[in-house]
Amino acid sequence: MDLKDRLKRMIVEELNIEDIAPDQIEDDEPLFGKKLGLDSIDAVEIVFQVEKTFGVAIRDMQEGRPALQSINSLAAYIEQRLTQ
Amino acid sequence: MKIDFEHRQSAHCESGVTANLLHHYGIDISEAMAFGIGAGLFFGYLPFIKINKLPLTTFRCEVGGIFKRLTRWFGLQVRWQKFRNPEKAMDALDRKIEEGIPVGCRTGGYWLPYFPPAFRFHFNMHNLVVIGRENDHYIISDPVFPDLERCHRKDLMKARFAKGAMAPRGTMYYLTHVPETVPFDQSVKNGIRIVCRRMLHTPGPLIGVKGIRYLARQVKKWPEKLGQRKASLYVTQLIRMQEELGTGGGGFRFMYAAFLQEAAQRLQAPGLQDLSDKMTAAGDLWREFAVIGARNCKGRAGENDSYAAMTRILMECADREEEIYRKLLPTVR
Repeated sequence: MDLKDRLKRMIVEELNIEDIAPDQIEDDEPLFGKKLGLDSIDAVEIVFQVEKTFGVAIRDMQEGRPALQSINSLAAYIEQRLTQ
Repeated sequence: MKIDFEHRQSAHCESGVTANLLHHYGIDISEAMAFGIGAGLFFGYLPFIKINKLPLTTFRCEVGGIFKRLTRWFGLQVRWQKFRNPEKAMDALDRKIEEGIPVGCRTGGYWLPYFPPAFRFHFNMHNLVVIGRENDHYIISDPVFPDLERCHRKDLMKARFAKGAMAPRGTMYYLTHVPETVPFDQSVKNGIRIVCRRMLHTPGPLIGVKGIRYLARQVKKWPEKLGQRKASLYVTQLIRMQEELGTGGGGFRFMYAAFLQEAAQRLQAPGLQDLSDKMTAAGDLWREFAVIGARNCKGRAGENDSYAAMTRILMECADREEEIYRKLLPTVR
């Protein structure tokens, strides 16, 4: 399973999104849009799970905001941090 | 008209504005250093003050305190202005911009159209720097955004005169005198001393480490006392104040850790590096509290995510922070 698929599964499972399957999340769709219905409180959980699962700490939610735009941006952020 | 002003993104608006304004006048200072010197770190649980009908919890000092302390200790002169009339407030802003002076403004962030809707809610303590005007739009260095923003006059006016708790009332400020040298190291020590004293020795139960413990004791009572729905709202508010509002995460604890790291090098005090690491660990613990809180608010709490668990974590935050401040204070004597 590639990084983007792992992120989609993580979001659906950890945020208890009942009516959307991981493969229904588009790589470039906004995570905090109407479809997924996520908000800034969910962002706290995503940040926590990213650190727990991938060992990438997002200390600052401001810093994390661009990374949390979409699956594409989050995957790119994690890959960049892991190669540093 | 656009002032040649270097925009640097930061985590927190007031410390970011402070650092950027000083940088404009040739003082090289990071956001974390501005936050630390300004004694920005704090804790207060103030249930008698309501924001959006929910009790106020603050992880930072009083609004404007960072800027005021730092400019005073550095010997900078500042002009502060408040207004009753919005048109006069905008005219005063225009005059300073025409003079080539960048102007700090306090605003209600909700009314700034460039804020993403998902992150927008009523909060009247948002600082930004206006650095220019082109027709009906102002050019804004908003430190929590990566690039310069533009804002229509009517939107900026509305934001400057947002209503509600801590209404900004058109507050604007700008530097009028900057000395050639500033007492940097002594100011670092001053800032540390104030934070330690406030966190350890403020009278009453609601402030500092005593305040964290007081909140901890309240949190586990909330579901029974307030009902699940209202308890969730209380926790949501707490998380937002802690993780979202330009805190740099962990209720400013990560930012203060960065300050201590810089201070360790500047003051040649390696002990501060150890305390910086401990502060980062405290921030991680605060974040753990936020995650459990978020799960409760969103109805996905597991068996280990109880309100009692949140209380335990907060108690540990208080213990760890108390140890840090007790070790920190002697380093600046």
